[in-house]
Amino acid sequence: MASTRLVEAESRRPGGAQTGGALALAEVMPRLVLESRRVSGTLAHGLHGRRRAGPGESFWQFRPFVTGEAAARIDWRRSARDDRLYVREREWEAAHNIWIWIDRSASMGFASDLAQTSKVERALVLGLALADTFVEGGERVGLLGLTRASASRGIVETLAQALVDDRAGLMQDLPPPARPGRFDEVVLVSDFLTPLDRVREAVQANSVHGNRGHLVLVADPVEETFPFTGQAVLHDPEGGLSLDIGEAGAWGEAYRARIAAHRDGLSEIARQRGWTLTIHRTDRPASEAALRVLTLVAAARGLG
Amino acid sequence: MFGIPLTFAAPLALAALVALPALWVLLRVTPPRPRRIHFPPLALVADLLPKRETPARTPPWLLILRILAAACLILAVAGPVWNPGGIGAAAGREPLLLILDNGFVAAQDWRDRLRAATDEIEAAARDGRPVALVASAEAPAPFEARPPAAALERLRAIKPRPHLGDRDAHLASIGTFLERMPAASIVWISDGVRGVGETDFAKSLGDLASRHGSAVTVLKAERSPALALEGSPVQPGEKLSAQVLRAEANGRDAGLVRALDQKGLPLAESRFTLQPEAREASVSFDLPVELRNAIARLEIEGEHSAGAVVLMDERGKRRRVGLVFGGTLDQAQPLLAPTYYLAKALSPFADVQQPRAGQGTAESIGQMLDNQVSVLALADVGALDDRTLARVETFVEEGGLLLRFAGPRLAAGNDPLVPVRLRRGGRSLGGTLSWDRPKTLAAFAPESPFAGLNPPADIGVRRQILAEPDGDLPGKTWAALQDGTPIVTAGKRGQGLVVLFHVTADTTWSNLPLSGLFVDMLRRVVGLAGPSAKLGEGDGRQANGQAKAALLAPRLTLDGFGALGSPPASATAVPADFADRAGPEHPPGFYGTAEGGIAVNALAPGDRLRPLDLTGLKGARMGSLAGAETLDLRALLFSLALTLLALDTLAGLWLGGFFRGAGRVSRGRAATAALLLPALLGLALVFAPPPARAQEPPANRPNGIESALATRLAFVVTGDAATDAASRAGLSGLSQMLAARTALEPGEPAGLNLEKDELAFYPLIYWPIVAGRPQPSEAAIRKIDAFMRNGGTVIFDTRDAQTARANGPPTPETAYLRKMLATLEVPELEPVPPDHVLTKAFYLVDSFPGRLSTGQTWVETIPPAGEGGERRPARAGDGVTPIIITGNDLAAAWAVGRNGEPLYPVTGDQRQREMAFRGGINIVIYTLTGNYKADQVHVPALLERLGQ
Repeated sequence: MASTRLVEAESRRPGGAQTGGALALAEVMPRLVLESRRVSGTLAHGLHGRRRAGPGESFWQFRPFVTGEAAARIDWRRSARDDRLYVREREWEAAHNIWIWIDRSASMGFASDLAQTSKVERALVLGLALADTFVEGGERVGLLGLTRASASRGIVETLAQALVDDRAGLMQDLPPPARPGRFDEVVLVSDFLTPLDRVREAVQANSVHGNRGHLVLVADPVEETFPFTGQAVLHDPEGGLSLDIGEAGAWGEAYRARIAAHRDGLSEIARQRGWTLTIHRTDRPASEAALRVLTLVAAARGLG
Repeated sequence: MFGIPLTFAAPLALAALVALPALWVLLRVTPPRPRRIHFPPLALVADLLPKRETPARTPPWLLILRILAAACLILAVAGPVWNPGGIGAAAGREPLLLILDNGFVAAQDWRDRLRAATDEIEAAARDGRPVALVASAEAPAPFEARPPAAALERLRAIKPRPHLGDRDAHLASIGTFLERMPAASIVWISDGVRGVGETDFAKSLGDLASRHGSAVTVLKAERSPALALEGSPVQPGEKLSAQVLRAEANGRDAGLVRALDQKGLPLAESRFTLQPEAREASVSFDLPVELRNAIARLEIEGEHSAGAVVLMDERGKRRRVGLVFGGTLDQAQPLLAPTYYLAKALSPFADVQQPRAGQGTAESIGQMLDNQVSVLALADVGALDDRTLARVETFVEEGGLLLRFAGPRLAAGNDPLVPVRLRRGGRSLGGTLSWDRPKTLAAFAPESPFAGLNPPADIGVRRQILAEPDGDLPGKTWAALQDGTPIVTAGKRGQGLVVLFHVTADTTWSNLPLSGLFVDMLRRVVGLAGPSAKLGEGDGRQANGQAKAALLAPRLTLDGFGALGSPPASATAVPADFADRAGPEHPPGFYGTAEGGIAVNALAPGDRLRPLDLTGLKGARMGSLAGAETLDLRALLFSLALTLLALDTLAGLWLGGFFRGAGRVSRGRAATAALLLPALLGLALVFAPPPARAQEPPANRPNGIESALATRLAFVVTGDAATDAASRAGLSGLSQMLAARTALEPGEPAGLNLEKDELAFYPLIYWPIVAGRPQPSEAAIRKIDAFMRNGGTVIFDTRDAQTARANGPPTPETAYLRKMLATLEVPELEPVPPDHVLTKAFYLVDSFPGRLSTGQTWVETIPPAGEGGERRPARAGDGVTPIIITGNDLAAAWAVGRNGEPLYPVTGDQRQREMAFRGGINIVIYTLTGNYKADQVHVPALLERLGQ
């Protein structure tokens, strides 16, 4: 039978081990994704000219006026030169930021002996590794509601320091409403063991401009399978609840159904906003989740 | 035991009661302490109930409940019996002789009797006494005492017999038994009714008993509650009557007698009332003859006894009429045959029989007489051969009714079988060679059987046979024409009657057979016929005048409870003139064939029930059937224990928190929350609106007046953000392209929520299929159905052209679409044919690619091109295809961003995107213009016709 433990509150803050692990993971993340982005040619990172028409400062092209367009768009100086109407288009320049948020609440400090590590450790490694990979790829990365987005090479250390300083974050199990910009992306790493309504609110607060986002659900295998039997009392590290569930084997049936419903709800929330949901179990290697998130971010970019 | 009437079958089992205190200790054992598990998802599932739980300490009241249940079980196992031994039980080890009356009188309260008998036998079983059982209505046979279990077995096989019992017959065997077992105690469960023709059984039994020193106990109802019904199975006439009988005044003074037909359907019911002291009352039914003839049995409602049933046989029923036509029956024109008119007119109230086709007149008449008809109708039969004539004469002499109709053959012949002397030849009235007009009927004379009927004025007799004006002619005339010439005459012959209509039975001589009067006249004539010719008489004559009547085998017999069934093996045939009451060998029921059988009843006419005289039985104990019954308390105790255990289960559930809806949560606040949660959940379920969906911003739903003002393309919002964005962008792109290239300038595309939005404003709805989404509701499907029916077009885009395989399994999208369309009325589909007007509505296109190009596009099948006609470049059906199914992901190809840039790559080159736009423009123009383009091919012809 699986045994469970809670890690200390202190170890829910990233230390050398986590940053080192994150860098190591980022090291092995393939260039593949970034290569593909370069090949697509429609995607650039950071404040670049996007080599296509869009909001920006520099001139891109004149094109003929199409019926139905706003008349204010007409470039009269160019149009005066012949009988046709022209619209001046500028090159699309937009800063793309990726905001990462890592759940460090008490429920994340949970590990069973079926898992490789505790959930919070896995979340930190995953989040910081993603940050490093994005910066490598030219994006600007920040912690949601905590730091500015930056593209510095030492992004992992910067973010880890910010996390260590943020003591309030040890109590929050959902991201703060940060209102990211239209073309920003949000990556939320958490166990999402909060009621769906609160998750929905948080996701809506972080997608007010219709920006994209990715939910990464870090779960301990025990939370998924509930392999216990016999009389048991459950304790919740976060709310301080305890529940006498009687015979655990029988209770597990209902529990698994409930967790499956919860996941379905999460997936529906993500789908409604056009976000994605990645489920990662701590008995699997972190690279799996990292790869999937990178692919999803790349794919989302591809759709413009 | 202790002065109360309670005994135990297994008293030793009571010793187990000592173990109850040990059980007390056992039940108080505390369950093991549960283990603690840290579990973060608890907050999500705090309201999930524990499934199985043993509380730490069993509460005292629950303990008491369980101890009680255990005590009940122990007591039940000990087998307590309340009031052991029946009333008639006598102490001792002597055998018990049980005499059980099982004639039909006992059927009414058979259960009580059976229970009383069972009680007696069980009491004997407890005392270990052998039992002898005599059923008084069975055939007498020697018997001996047997073990009680065997007697019980035999008792279960005894059923009430459908006839009266004959107790006297058993006296001999009872005497023999008592000789051998002198001290046997006798219990007689009596029905309290003295059988017909029975001597004083009670006195004889008393003598036997006192001679052998036996104690006699008589168990009987204080007053025999049985009712019986007595009536004749043969009741001519329209009125049916029967007597309700009882042996003595018993308080059952009113009831219902019901008349049923062959199938057991009630036809009529009649209420009877017995004077408080009277022993019989009459009940009668006055019914139209058709209904009355259908009645097969009378029964007292709710009596369930063979004695309360009177079966009616065929002898009192519909007259059987045999039709014989003297001419050749032209089978090609059956509607012109006289027999047709007669059969039609007679069938409402008589049983019409016609001879087999292809026989001569004599054979036909012979067959009819063999069939025991009561009325023989001869339509235009002339002279008969001597043998047939003799048979017909005998038939009439013995009470048959001969009904004759005139005709050319009768007019030509000289026939003794007529009521009056006839003149040769007929008289024609109103013919082409006559001055007369057809004569109509005079009013019927009061002494005529037709008196009271009203001859209509439009009856015309064109031809008739005239009677010689003899002196007795007026007395024999039943109906006459206005000029006094008889038209119906009748004469008695022996016990029978000969009736002659002086016209034909068809319309050649008069239109009388067409009138309703004809039916009424025939009804009255047939009503005069006596009961059917005596049954068995024909058979008897065929047996060369053998005196003995024919035997009729039992067909359906009553059981003791008055239900018809197949006859038992012991039933034997009865002679056709059987008129006695039923007996053991002849149970009541129907005997003989269905057409001509007789009914035998449990009581013969005139039988009366009399109460049993028990004064001759000296020194007998009397007991009541409804006396104190022996009660085996085992069943009661077992069910009590079961109830207590069920209560215990409920209590266990309650203690386990099932009804509180939550487990025991340690902290106060959390406990309150957990307690409130289920209640709130319940409330929310009651009051919740349908689950909240992603709310479309109002601007995306330009319904109402804006939608009516501009033509818009529309798409179905699937709830999948990426797909919906693609649909919106795609339709925007197509709208821009339409505005740029065609005369149509559509408004902003509209996203439709099928559950809420009105669809009537949109000519074309684009519906991308997303496999994972829930199916639209039934209401939405009906809405789409109405939309398609009223001329709208829906494009279903499965977007799976890349993954679909021609003969592979359906893709998830295709499966989803099939499921959705299963309830829609989808017309027959075909891939877009090359000459479909859809390919020519604006651009000339071959296919309809989108982001993908390999998918097939399906539209409603249009009628095939006419054979041989000139080959037209475009074909169209009557309307616009209501459905277009494609897998090419059209919207993605059309999708443009805010600045006009394409959003999604296409699988082919840029030309494919252009072709996608062209296809899209064609689809839109097609939905808006219908088959207009197909009709354009006629323009040259029209111009030519105009002379241009």
